[in-house]
Amino acid sequence: MALLKIDNLNFYYPEEIDSALKNINLTIEEGEFVVLIGQSGCGKSTLLKHLKRELAPHGKKSGDILYRNERLEDLDMKTAAAEVGYVLQNPENQIVTDKVWHELAFGLENLGLDTLTIRRRVAEMANFFGIQSWFRQKTVGLSGGQKQLLNLAAVMAMQPKLLLLDEPTSQLDPIAAMEFITTLHKLNQELGLTIILIEHRLEEVLPLADKVVLMDHSEIIYTGHPKQLLTDIPKNHAMHDALPTAMRIFNACDQEGDAPLTIREGRKWLLQQPVEQNCVSVDENYVELGLVVLEAKDIAFRYEKNSDDILHGFQMHVRAGEMLSIIGGNGTGKSTALKILSGLEKPYRGNVFVNGQKLKKYRNSDLYREQLAVLPQDPKTLFVEKQVRKELESMQKVAMKASAEKLAEIISLLDLQHLMDRHPYDLSGGEQQKLALAKLLLLNPKILLLDEPTKGIDAHAKKALAHILHALLKQGVAIVMVTHDIEFSAEYSSRCALFFDGNLVSEGDPRTFYSGNSFYTTAAHRLSRGIFKNAITCEDVITLCKKATTNVSV
Amino acid sequence: MKSFEMYHPLVLFYYFMTVIGMAMFFMHPIYLVLTFMEAVLLNFLLLRHGFWKKLMMYIPLFFIMAIINPLISHNGELVILYVNDNAVTMEAICYGMAMALMILAVIIWFNSYNGVMTSDKFLYLFGKLSPVLALTISITMRLVPRFKHQIHIITQAQKTIGMDYTSGSVWERIKCVTRILSILITWALENAIETADSMKARGYGLPERSTFSLFVFEKRDGWLLGVITLLAGISVAGSFLGYTTFYFYPTFSEMEWSLTSVGFYSVYAVLLAIPIVIEIKENIKWRYLRSTI
Repeated sequence: MALLKIDNLNFYYPEEIDSALKNINLTIEEGEFVVLIGQSGCGKSTLLKHLKRELAPHGKKSGDILYRNERLEDLDMKTAAAEVGYVLQNPENQIVTDKVWHELAFGLENLGLDTLTIRRRVAEMANFFGIQSWFRQKTVGLSGGQKQLLNLAAVMAMQPKLLLLDEPTSQLDPIAAMEFITTLHKLNQELGLTIILIEHRLEEVLPLADKVVLMDHSEIIYTGHPKQLLTDIPKNHAMHDALPTAMRIFNACDQEGDAPLTIREGRKWLLQQPVEQNCVSVDENYVELGLVVLEAKDIAFRYEKNSDDILHGFQMHVRAGEMLSIIGGNGTGKSTALKILSGLEKPYRGNVFVNGQKLKKYRNSDLYREQLAVLPQDPKTLFVEKQVRKELESMQKVAMKASAEKLAEIISLLDLQHLMDRHPYDLSGGEQQKLALAKLLLLNPKILLLDEPTKGIDAHAKKALAHILHALLKQGVAIVMVTHDIEFSAEYSSRCALFFDGNLVSEGDPRTFYSGNSFYTTAAHRLSRGIFKNAITCEDVITLCKKATTNVSV
Repeated sequence: MKSFEMYHPLVLFYYFMTVIGMAMFFMHPIYLVLTFMEAVLLNFLLLRHGFWKKLMMYIPLFFIMAIINPLISHNGELVILYVNDNAVTMEAICYGMAMALMILAVIIWFNSYNGVMTSDKFLYLFGKLSPVLALTISITMRLVPRFKHQIHIITQAQKTIGMDYTSGSVWERIKCVTRILSILITWALENAIETADSMKARGYGLPERSTFSLFVFEKRDGWLLGVITLLAGISVAGSFLGYTTFYFYPTFSEMEWSLTSVGFYSVYAVLLAIPIVIEIKENIKWRYLRSTI
């Protein structure tokens, strides 16, 4: 008996002509780890919400969803609430109460369990998830990773048979995300829990999956084991960019059969290929750099008088037309560095220079117009209006010099035409970010500071963002980006720097920088390390592979 | 002060309410002195070093209160001197001091109460009366710091696009602040939808919701509750029999030292000493345990 059976499900949102779900047929067996993938807006979330009765969206629906041979609608209320668990994307929003222990007990209280049962289940969960040490703490002070783990534990306390997760790691840093995914794997392996997961981090998740379901334009176009995914989807499908590095390289080299999923499998495969060892990739397009536009000299900063220095002897500079990525661990002070550079926090020693003049000397109105702009981590903090169009027009008024042509130019550069009448909050993460960026660009900045620009956006949106940033670089804008996204920084930045212990400890162009690191480096480099000399991106490895195969055939 | 606090909130609340209630009515000098002394002792055990600082603040308070009474009340037989033809009497001075002592003792008892009954214990007790209110308070306690944090983030983001509420004309500043608040409200409402989803997904709204807490009513809590009730009952009975009454006017009534009255005094003393005894007993136990290791 299948745990879950979806039978010819069709769904239309109210007053929409296009279906949000089209002919969905899917069977999920007990104990399966299913990964649901697809580009944003393809209907993954809509499908997942349908599986949780309490969250099923309103609209016109046909077809059946059977949970253990019983229609989902006919389930008893308590069973429906307890047996299907749901974890959402944002760790903050899901937490209801102020104390960790209360959050764990919240669902159990709703089920009307007695104190003794709740006590036992809460204790069990706290132990399994390692929550004991912060069990009595307030939820406010937890880190993002802890919050999401707490959300998972709170759902697990209700002892679900089926766990649904909608991009649970998109707001987490790579280490917390890995920990979360490992916990999911453990739940699946040790408790035999059935899991359906929507995820963008396929590099880590796909190797764990028993089954992958690919959705495209409201339909399921592939269901099966991840290893055979490549053979069944069209060669140039947009989803390829999101696949694990090993799979992408395998695919680009026109290979048939079971694809490698992990770095280990990828290396094994690559070693069997007729490739020339120690090939070197070279960068062809060298870009002429301009003057130093933003410089920090000997910055020292701390938040409180008696706390430790967050920045200490911090130095950096960036030239016009250059993109500098600052990478580094979580909570080390990268974002603080960005605040200092943008003048939002004042260092107690050292100076920041904008165009050779001290930052302190600028008036705010001069600094943030025509000089420097900051893209905040959460683009929503910039939105005030009800419509994208109004949002941009109101900004145009603020930036007195921005002409209608300028606005049109920005709209076409960021590809916002089709979104003009939408509400900013209805846009996807990537689109929201583009809108925020458009607002900033109306101020015509020469220096652009970005705080985690790739957080929570999919591969497609990342590519679009990179395209925009490169167009800006060509116009002579200097970009400083703080990020966790190693792959993104390796592929697109002009220079990378590692932030550690209050300072930038090593820096260089992406190729020398990442081929010098052995852990803190891209998947492609880890995969090809010792085989190719300095390949750091997927494209590097693919080009070298192809070169080798053509050499052999010649 | 760790072991007394560990008793069930119900016991703690009951104890403090009984003690403070009685302390406010018993004006007998022996009772007053007992109330005050044990209040100080308990508070000292609770606060340790911080206590002396607070005591310094109480002394002038005591004298102010003690002086006011003889200035407005001229009853009494033992006249000490005349000020502007008004008698300043021994009785009025003593009554003023007794009043001041009582008020001070009650304040110090409340101080100890605050130290022991933290907000979560109070909420737990009153949440029993209204579970919905208790949950609402819990949710609010989570939201307030979140909003504060978000305001900070929005303010900084707005500053970088030239909307800075710390500079510019008054009109511009007002415009900036309304903008920040408007963004905050949209953000809050938007997120509330997700929080509501998370609540629904975990079965909020099902009938027969139960309330869970980390507090357990143990056997020792029952015992202590019984002891408190017994001792308080005896003291109240003594009060009805007139043993706690003492007249300051027209002149002092006689102090009684009969066996029964001493019995009532000691019962009251024991009642007030409960937390102190528990504390000291625990301390000795720990010392003993440590010495045997």
